[in-house]
Amino acid sequence: MEPYLIHHLLERAALNYPQKTSVFHGSDTATYLEINRLSNRLAHLLMEKGTKRGDRIIIAMENSIASVVAYYAVLKSGCISIEVPDKSTSSEISYFIKDAEADVCILSRMSSRRLKGNIPASTIIELDHIEKDSLIMTELEGMPDTDPDMPIIDLDLASIIYTSGSTGKPKGVMLTHRNVLSNTSSIVSYLGLGPDDRIMVVLPFYYVYGKSLLNTHFMVGASVVINNRFAFPNSVVEDMYNKRVTGFAGVPSTFAILMNRSIFPKRDITSLRYMTQAGGMMAPALTKRIMEAKPGISLFIMYGATEASPRLTFLPPERLPHKLGSAGIPVPNCEITIRDDTGRMLDTYEIGNICARGSNIMQGYWKDSTETAKSLKPWGLVTGDIGYKDNEGFIYITGRKKEMIKVGGERVSPREIEDALIESSMVHEAAVIGVPDEYLSEVPKAYVVPLNPETFNLDELKGFMKKRLSIHKLPRHWQVLRSLPKKASGKIDKEALRV
Amino acid sequence: MEIKERIIKFIRENFIAGRTDISLASDESLIEAGIMDSTGVLELVEFLESTFNIVIDDEELIPENLETIDNIVRFLKTKAV
Repeated sequence: MEPYLIHHLLERAALNYPQKTSVFHGSDTATYLEINRLSNRLAHLLMEKGTKRGDRIIIAMENSIASVVAYYAVLKSGCISIEVPDKSTSSEISYFIKDAEADVCILSRMSSRRLKGNIPASTIIELDHIEKDSLIMTELEGMPDTDPDMPIIDLDLASIIYTSGSTGKPKGVMLTHRNVLSNTSSIVSYLGLGPDDRIMVVLPFYYVYGKSLLNTHFMVGASVVINNRFAFPNSVVEDMYNKRVTGFAGVPSTFAILMNRSIFPKRDITSLRYMTQAGGMMAPALTKRIMEAKPGISLFIMYGATEASPRLTFLPPERLPHKLGSAGIPVPNCEITIRDDTGRMLDTYEIGNICARGSNIMQGYWKDSTETAKSLKPWGLVTGDIGYKDNEGFIYITGRKKEMIKVGGERVSPREIEDALIESSMVHEAAVIGVPDEYLSEVPKAYVVPLNPETFNLDELKGFMKKRLSIHKLPRHWQVLRSLPKKASGKIDKEALRV
Repeated sequence: MEIKERIIKFIRENFIAGRTDISLASDESLIEAGIMDSTGVLELVEFLESTFNIVIDDEELIPENLETIDNIVRFLKTKAV
């Protein structure tokens, strides 16, 4: 029978390629059989701790063999995985726990050091790095390594992925097993992935693009190479060379760093067959430079949304030179239309809302029927992006309706930053916009009006913000103003700030 | 001010100011501790280049030179700082 649940991918690969290395991480490796057995043990442990089908479980771990085990274990136990950034502050994690009504958190040793004792989870499971042939924790040793066989179906939720919303608070995108599997098949098909492929993963698994790297490769019995050290891009390039990877995936900032501040342009990685780019539009000038530096490697420019599990379009590499700036054509089994606000389909070259239909489209936002109704219309998902189709059906994105800031691969809500600025009690009013950045596509810029100009200290405010928000949400540029421009309605005029 | 103190001051002011959940040990990985990310490393490199009037090549952006405060100090010594 064909896999119809996400963890069936792992179980099938463990049957077909039991001794094959599925995950490389530094000098650690794990075979499909090892990952499957460890996931089974952890799933049994979760169930013994009282988790039930449909319970939400938070995973806050950096990429590792253990984090792969945690993800599949949660699914095998019939629960819903909520993977969040491992560098989240305790107040951010507390929000996820409360909003998702999650009792159980799975943490790594690093995240546990910061979070344990500071978050309201009733059960915390700490997973260490897994060494070959050893078990992660003594508790797991007593658990069976057989499939738990929880009676769940593909319409059950597999993941809730928090993404920053226009209201400021992160929204939970609900994805079923079917949503994810459908999109995984589409990606495998257009990338032409096979068991001999080996992908370098520098993107975090909590990010839907990162997670798709794992599932697509497990679907075909291929391998993933984890490297969390992109802060030192040269060590990643060497790892790509030494592990003979066939694929690489990044967001625009990844490629900007690789091309501008690493040995990548000069290093000939003969095994490398293709590269994928998503997570925001990459400047065509950078795309061109990559094509020129690496002419033999297929570059797939892609577009997607967390709400689409995530992939919506891809640009076939052979069309890239003629369609530079395009997001490409719909992925298999997905329909993209351009529509006005009433849902009327627009003509070629007419600019409107980019909408999508397909079995990869989310079920809605967790406990948020208002936002769900805004995004899911009878004609499909309204992505919030605007653009047009050319006469060959290639899609071009011209802007974002929502004003989210895309910092690297992360979506950041200006409202969340503004709320935190106001929360400092040092600021009378604040406005945050995204400004272009060479490495991260966009970064937040904060305009603040001090509450008390005589005693105001910008460094003090920056210190407060660093305590309050994760690093990628922190404004990189600041401007202190005496007042903010306003519209007639009294609302802050952000367009005037952009001029 | 000593080289090490200047680096610590820069890291404290730019990456961890205000955060009480992060400790700063000179032999601990600034990446694994969540203090610096990939753009943080580039900010650090800019700071080192302008403060100590040196040029850091792309080939030198490796953990052995920049991962911990001790490594950074050792690296600067090789640059005759």
